[in-house]
Amino acid sequence: MRMTQSGAVGLALAALAIAFLPMTVGSQWVRIFTSTTCFAVAAAGVGLMYARLNMVSLAQVGLMGVGGWVLLRMNHGLALPFEANLAVAALVTAIFGMVLALPALRMRGLYLALITLMAAGGIEIVLSTFRFPNGGEGFWGVMPSVAAPFRRPVLAESDPAYLRYALIVAVFCMLIIEAHRRTAPGRAWAMIRRSEAAAMASGVNATLYKAWAFALSGLLAGLAGGLLAGSIGLLDAATFRASESIMLFALAVVGGARYWLGAVIAAVLYRVLPALFNDWGIDPDLVLIIFGAALLHAIITAPDGLAGQIMSTLKWRRQ
Amino acid sequence: MIELENISVKFGGVIALDTVSARFEKPISGIIGPNGAGKTTMMNVISGFLQSSGQLLFDGEDLTRLSPHGRARWGLRRSFQREQLADDLSVVDNLKVLLDSLPGARAEKQNDLDRVLEITGLTGRADTLATDLNTYERRLTDVARCLIGSPRLVMFDEPAGGLGAEETDRLGDLILRISELTGALTLVIDHDVDLIKRICAQTLVLDFGRQIAFGETKTVLQDAKVRSAYLGLAEEVG
Repeated sequence: MRMTQSGAVGLALAALAIAFLPMTVGSQWVRIFTSTTCFAVAAAGVGLMYARLNMVSLAQVGLMGVGGWVLLRMNHGLALPFEANLAVAALVTAIFGMVLALPALRMRGLYLALITLMAAGGIEIVLSTFRFPNGGEGFWGVMPSVAAPFRRPVLAESDPAYLRYALIVAVFCMLIIEAHRRTAPGRAWAMIRRSEAAAMASGVNATLYKAWAFALSGLLAGLAGGLLAGSIGLLDAATFRASESIMLFALAVVGGARYWLGAVIAAVLYRVLPALFNDWGIDPDLVLIIFGAALLHAIITAPDGLAGQIMSTLKWRRQ
Repeated sequence: MIELENISVKFGGVIALDTVSARFEKPISGIIGPNGAGKTTMMNVISGFLQSSGQLLFDGEDLTRLSPHGRARWGLRRSFQREQLADDLSVVDNLKVLLDSLPGARAEKQNDLDRVLEITGLTGRADTLATDLNTYERRLTDVARCLIGSPRLVMFDEPAGGLGAEETDRLGDLILRISELTGALTLVIDHDVDLIKRICAQTLVLDFGRQIAFGETKTVLQDAKVRSAYLGLAEEVG
């Protein structure tokens, strides 16, 4: 498979980040960049749905919560290695995403957005009611005060090593998306986006391919949620509010849903910018104003987001 | 041979097709009629996009048991009034969408692609994004898609729409070759009566969802009811 110039640049930047980022930043920023990496994976899933199928999914952060819950439950309940728990969390979330897609398969636009938002709201309520497992007794496993110790991957027990691990998983996720874009699913999604009737007339099973996209997006959310759980060791239901899914979608649009760089920009805006504001002594909530202005900018002048603008500027300079 | 037997479609209280029956046996046949006559509705019924009453048989095989994408895999190909190409895919990737759903070895599929691109004269534009094609090239890509795999029934919905006279002639020549190249039966819907007269041996005429004539194209176009419905004139159509 031929590598594009932007793909090569992306892999080179990822290699640099994997090699140097964990060594060059302090412990607090290592955790912030780990969480940013997790949200970049989740934003890539939202972007996949929006850019490839023109479908708005507002349940992505809720689905991250599902992945995080499964990983924590597996970690505290079974003696499996972290990788096995992460794989199960991703698969369960993919299946959950696909089941969520079933009633939504005939819907688009606002109606689909509303259905997924309601699902995110439902997940939020369930997570708040039953809380994340923390190694307590019984199936739900919640202890009132302390949490049981959490197992990380053998090769990534320290925070910097875990950031490296999360970055490698994120690169793997971007490559999965790119592999889909370049092969039969990507072509089928492009045709469905153009016209479902034309896609069916071309032999595309539109229902199957839409469910597949939901499952892949869910898989990415599950991986993101699982990685986040591994980073913190204990998750908080407040992280997975339905409103956060709306925010992540908006930032995926601002970043540029069609590009891997867009998912990275979305996650940086979502996690790094508020942390920077905090460092500078500015109220982090003020980032919402910047997000609003950036969304307006994207809607009015940059339909491909900031990543689209960067890509076209680089292309123009090369020409 | 494709047989339509008492095909009826209702949208609420509106009868879009009213017990239409026809038997297309010739390699190329046409469906004509004024706007709103039910031509595209008929094409959508054959494609499986609309439920209808009545029977739809191809060489005795009941097509209604197949889903729309199942019909494409069976060998049904169609174009739309506006070419439906994925703009961010190249010409060859637009054609691969159909090939992806068909069985066969990769080399075999590549040969099929090369053959179709050569027939349609699109070889030099194979890697061009659909968004960069002109109207005629987009139409040609639509036709190319109809030739991919082993088509058994090919349907064109106003293939000459938006084209000039010379391009319409070239497209007509290409459509005329389809049955010779693939062995498929071809159905053409168009307002251009000259095109229908030139390429279609049999023609079905619809008006307000009702069948007003069916038979040899020359005979049909001289029919008084067709002249009246089609042009509102008591003159020979075309």
